[in-house]
Amino acid sequence: MTATVTRVVVVGGGAVAWLAAAGLRRAFRKRGVDVLVLDTGMPADAPVGRWTLPSQRGMHGLLGIVEADLVRRTGATFKLATEHVGWQGDGSHFLHAHGDIGADIGETPFYKYLVLQALNGRPESPENYSLAATAARIGRFARPVGDEKALTSSFTYGFHLDEAAYVAYLAAHAAQLGVRRVTAPLAEVLRLPTGEVESLRLANGELIAGELFLDCSGSDSLLMGQIGAVERDDWSAWLPCDRMISARAPLIADFPPFTRTVAADAGWAWRLPLARASAAGYVYSSAFTTDEAALRYLQSAVPGLEAPGRAVPLAAGRRRRFWEKNCVALGASAMQLEPLAGADLHFAQLGLGTLVELFPLDVTGAIEGAEYNRVMTDHADALRDFTIAHYRAGRARPGAFWTAARALPPPQRLADRLDLFQANARINLTDFETFEEVDWAWLLLGAGLIPAALELQIRQLVENVTAQQVAPLRAHIDGLAASMPRHSEYVQRSNA
Amino acid sequence: MAAAAFAAVLRPEQRDIRLIESSEIGIVGVGEATLPHIRFFNRRIGLDEADLMAKTQATFKLGIEFVNWARVGDSYIHPFGAYGSKIAGVPFHNYWLRQQAEGVPTPIEDYSLPIVASRLNRFALPSEDPSSVMSTFGYAFQFDASLYARYLRGFAEQRGVQRTDAKIVDVKLRGEDGWVESVKLESGEVVSGDLFIDCSGFRGLLIEQALKTGYEEWTRWLPCDRAMAVPCENSGPLTPYTRATAREAGWQWRIPLQHRMGNGYVYGSNFISDDEAAAKLLSRLEGKPLADPRPVRFTAGRRRKTWNRNVVGIGLAGGFLEPLESTSIYLIQIAITTLLDYLTDRPAADGQRFDPRIVEAYNRWIEMEYDRVRDFLILHYHATERDDTPIWNYCRTMDVPDSLKHKMELFRRRARVVTYKDGLFLEPSWLAVYFGQRVMPSAWDPLADALDGAEVQRQLQAVREQVQSTVVRMPTHEEFLAKYCPAAPASSAGARK
Repeated sequence: MTATVTRVVVVGGGAVAWLAAAGLRRAFRKRGVDVLVLDTGMPADAPVGRWTLPSQRGMHGLLGIVEADLVRRTGATFKLATEHVGWQGDGSHFLHAHGDIGADIGETPFYKYLVLQALNGRPESPENYSLAATAARIGRFARPVGDEKALTSSFTYGFHLDEAAYVAYLAAHAAQLGVRRVTAPLAEVLRLPTGEVESLRLANGELIAGELFLDCSGSDSLLMGQIGAVERDDWSAWLPCDRMISARAPLIADFPPFTRTVAADAGWAWRLPLARASAAGYVYSSAFTTDEAALRYLQSAVPGLEAPGRAVPLAAGRRRRFWEKNCVALGASAMQLEPLAGADLHFAQLGLGTLVELFPLDVTGAIEGAEYNRVMTDHADALRDFTIAHYRAGRARPGAFWTAARALPPPQRLADRLDLFQANARINLTDFETFEEVDWAWLLLGAGLIPAALELQIRQLVENVTAQQVAPLRAHIDGLAASMPRHSEYVQRSNA
Repeated sequence: MAAAAFAAVLRPEQRDIRLIESSEIGIVGVGEATLPHIRFFNRRIGLDEADLMAKTQATFKLGIEFVNWARVGDSYIHPFGAYGSKIAGVPFHNYWLRQQAEGVPTPIEDYSLPIVASRLNRFALPSEDPSSVMSTFGYAFQFDASLYARYLRGFAEQRGVQRTDAKIVDVKLRGEDGWVESVKLESGEVVSGDLFIDCSGFRGLLIEQALKTGYEEWTRWLPCDRAMAVPCENSGPLTPYTRATAREAGWQWRIPLQHRMGNGYVYGSNFISDDEAAAKLLSRLEGKPLADPRPVRFTAGRRRKTWNRNVVGIGLAGGFLEPLESTSIYLIQIAITTLLDYLTDRPAADGQRFDPRIVEAYNRWIEMEYDRVRDFLILHYHATERDDTPIWNYCRTMDVPDSLKHKMELFRRRARVVTYKDGLFLEPSWLAVYFGQRVMPSAWDPLADALDGAEVQRQLQAVREQVQSTVVRMPTHEEFLAKYCPAAPASSAGARK
């Protein structure tokens, strides 16, 4: 056996780098694994703010981060949902909430009842049956409580993060865990004759050696680009947006607990609330607009927008291999995907978790790498599919950009899923999926998709459910939502 | 099974079920061993378990014993249950491996309640309380397949299935799209239908002979293509497990039923003659044979589409995987329940009875089920050190599917089991076969090193003691059967013809 892994070198300086460094240090500190971050600064593609999935709560727990402290010190806010405005044409809007739709009917998910209602000409919004969505709509928030069957625990939440503050917080936390930090530009990657990275030479001449190297440098891919792992799957035919600008914006008065995306002529804009400001951005296609026009659009949509940084390129796609030799790409270095689904940090977290489970025993982790790549490419493709589905579900928004986004048939696995849902309202998930059946239901029903038929067996179960039976649930939800504090007050109280 | 399930689950106004079988054509199953999933099927269609067991001479099954697979003289049990439970989020077997390496060898079997119970011929129903060690296992049945068919026939007929004893002499296809329009019986009667379920066995009367669907063969990995079956008298206590013993040209099954023992020899016709296989089988029975051995031919593989146009091939008409892991009934069950799940409440938009998008999704699902079972079966043949006869030497050195090669490499390197969300055989199953067939890892998950050695020792010891002390309080398998589901005397039930 060759050298065991005792020195991990993380290249990057954004949220992904610090999460990975802290995570590995915490998992393997007892084994004496040393983790060093070569801090190359915030990746150029980092947005000024980001929205996360609820899994970020679990990540914080694993790292030993106290959530209340994090929220107070970074000016974060809570996220119950994402609102998608205009995706099916002007006037359309729906929420994708982080919570249940109704309560299961026996073992059958409640959304099937809504499908039957729609088939019978009585379409209803899933929002009416979701505490998270109802609370979001009226600007309320409280953390879930109670046992798992209670309505008060029928939801979860993610975060809205100020990127710079979050990164600083993570860096300080990582330092407390014993992660070391070196700040200097990378000059040269030195490799063993067998191709593995042996060490990094910095601009100041210093040499950093290690057995395992993580590339968390975003789309710059400072390491992966150097070791020949360059083959990519290009997704731009399905996801035509290739640029993004983002900037800070004024505080939103009585800010709501959700992210908003707004369909526009050449892509989509987003806005998220922070405790002391807000953030906004525009994800667009350079084939349909210019950087200047995009900026003008965002400025007109968001009064008081601060001056944004340069527009950054977004090359939708992923590496064929995330783990090559003794290097592992995490985050945008592995996959570039527009942030529509809010899964960027989740994807990094999946990579980190899989890496912890497959932590290489020595520098030649070929079989671990093969397994890692098998699992993570599947995860990546699942995230891609969920993102693309936003562009394809329901009525198409008019306009050249939106027509282009639907021009090609979707990737096969997404086509299979949409076909089946449209045929009989069934949602089959595969092995590695971030988004669950209920998330797909939020998206597909929210976009107004009505299947051609319903599964016969399911129909038998849900056709006896009457409007009178579900009315108390709605009333209960409305009452609970109204009893929650306003989100803005909840955050201010946390910060006091 | 199909007729019973459709009759039980669909409402009378939603169905009109005809079952056509010829009593002149025998059925293939003999003694049949099942997997715990059968209990979901029974519950879904509303079968009374104790009644079913009593009327099919059934016994309980906690796992399968494999004898002589990696080396002659080896024995292990693939249990319906876990080995210990996760410690600090890390699968239990990693700690077991660590302890082995630290010089405290204990058999992995000691950490599995169903294995220890099997070795002592004991049985009790599992507990629903997740904190109890009695909740760490599941169970299945071993029953007489002919009696099972008879039982389900009665169940189906009570619910309005009309059964016709006849041979099908002709199949009429619709001109415009080749869908099956009707079948013609010997009597001249023409039976038409919307959906035809082909349960006609290997030949696939509708799915293959009429529709020419095609078959994907897997004989290069699963070289057995014949089976010889014979029941014999019981001798000795009834074991709560099936046994599969590797033999010179294949393997022999042993399935204990209340009234007799089912036996069979699954072999490769390239490696032994039918006569010799019959002679070997008869010479190795534990009791007096109750019939002449009956040979059956098959080809391992799967129909290219098990749902083609308006025909669904179920059972051997859909594909064949040898009964090594008792998957035959499981694959039938999954085909039936999946088909029921996918039926819709209205015809497809273009007036076709079945939406092709649903048919494709169904076929993908069934394919996945077969493929996952396939890899697991191949592992049994491939993970061997035996070179004493040509079939074993072939299997030992054959090239296996990449998906399996990857799984084995990863396990050898660091004891990691590749798992999946859907389909058969979870982590404990793979562990049982890996460990049982000497696929030993050279290292374990490094996360298992975080715990202090004495603590690991203490926790493992506690599991072992708990399993042991629980099992010795369980009744014997025979005591339990006598109370729960005693069968009628053997004489009437034993007559198969």
